[in-house]
Amino acid sequence: MKTKDLPYNRKASIPVARIIDRMRDELDFEVLAGYQGLSRPVFSADINRPGLALSGYLEYFANDRIQLLGNTEIHFMETLTTAKLNQRLNDMFSFEVPAFVLSRNLEPLPSFLDICNRRGVPVLRSTRSTDEVISRVILYLSEEFSPETTIHGTALECYGVGCLILGAPGVGKSETALELIERGHRLVADDVVLLKRLREDQLYAETNPVIEHRMEIRGVGIIDVKAIFGVGCVRNVKRIGLMVELEEWNPEAQYDRTGLQEEHVEILGARIPYIRIPVRPGRNIAIIIEVAALNHRLKELGTNTAQELNDRILNIMNPGGK
Amino acid sequence: MRLEESMCVVNRLGVHARPAAAIVQTVLKFQSEVHILHAGSRVNAKSIMGLLTLAATCGTELTVVCEGDDSEAAMAAIKALFASGFGED
Repeated sequence: MKTKDLPYNRKASIPVARIIDRMRDELDFEVLAGYQGLSRPVFSADINRPGLALSGYLEYFANDRIQLLGNTEIHFMETLTTAKLNQRLNDMFSFEVPAFVLSRNLEPLPSFLDICNRRGVPVLRSTRSTDEVISRVILYLSEEFSPETTIHGTALECYGVGCLILGAPGVGKSETALELIERGHRLVADDVVLLKRLREDQLYAETNPVIEHRMEIRGVGIIDVKAIFGVGCVRNVKRIGLMVELEEWNPEAQYDRTGLQEEHVEILGARIPYIRIPVRPGRNIAIIIEVAALNHRLKELGTNTAQELNDRILNIMNPGGK
Repeated sequence: MRLEESMCVVNRLGVHARPAAAIVQTVLKFQSEVHILHAGSRVNAKSIMGLLTLAATCGTELTVVCEGDDSEAAMAAIKALFASGFGED
């Protein structure tokens, strides 16, 4: 399998304050204590429920994660004497803890808030249920910690398939994109495509927030696709299902003629089906990409035309099997 | 050959559309691949849109990377263009 080596960025940590800011619409965190610690870094997309740590077991304490306090933890703390609770919390704070998050609008003990205030450990609270808080925080954090890069290419949605079109400058990526947009497909980004890998194996293309859906077309200049073709012809994010590499027609090169061999390329660690299309005057690349996208969908639905034809021919040549 | 050099944006308005087009015109004359690096992003210098996303203002230091057989000539041409302030004040 080919690997597309790209320099990429991946955040090592993000401050608690950023989580509060970015999750304002979703979880609307209220800060109950530890304001001075809002710049504390979170290093992991995972969440820890510190029940065992609160009961005194600190081996393998996942201290670098957000510590979620639900009904169980809050009510367990109430069973401890103030001295015992203080001691357990002090033990926990011998490790760096980024923040506590409370769900269900739970009311923590004042002595818990006191010690968090003294230690500068932020305590955040949401009104949502525990499982909602966990799943939303993990989803958001894994997005923040995902590797990302920008790539020179074009991303479109073609018949529902996210296509990433790559190729040397001047090979006709933007012109092909324009024709696909004219034919009713949707532009994600042209020239500057933001790529993100989520959940180990999913590659997403995003619009650059500065240029949005503008394109440069040689001979015309800069155009705004959203203004010209309408909102139906653009989208901001799309998962990539197919990578298309355009290249100058090379009579020496071997191109796939049967489609029996499926090629893949690895981008940011995600494995993406890959096709190479030779470009030559008179070849309508947009239509070829449309057909490639449809064929990709057909394969995903379980129909591999090349394979079926081959099986059929083998069957005719050798009736009833051997 | 791979060359890397730091260059400063000296014109008052920074890298807006016209300077970006001037960079692209200059770079397209060469076979080398040219990328510009700034604040964690890396863009192809043969793309106007890419250059615009850098939002490089006057005084910004950009890293130019040229890779290819004519990288020396390409680097010299880009350097001269930056030094001229893209023909602006």
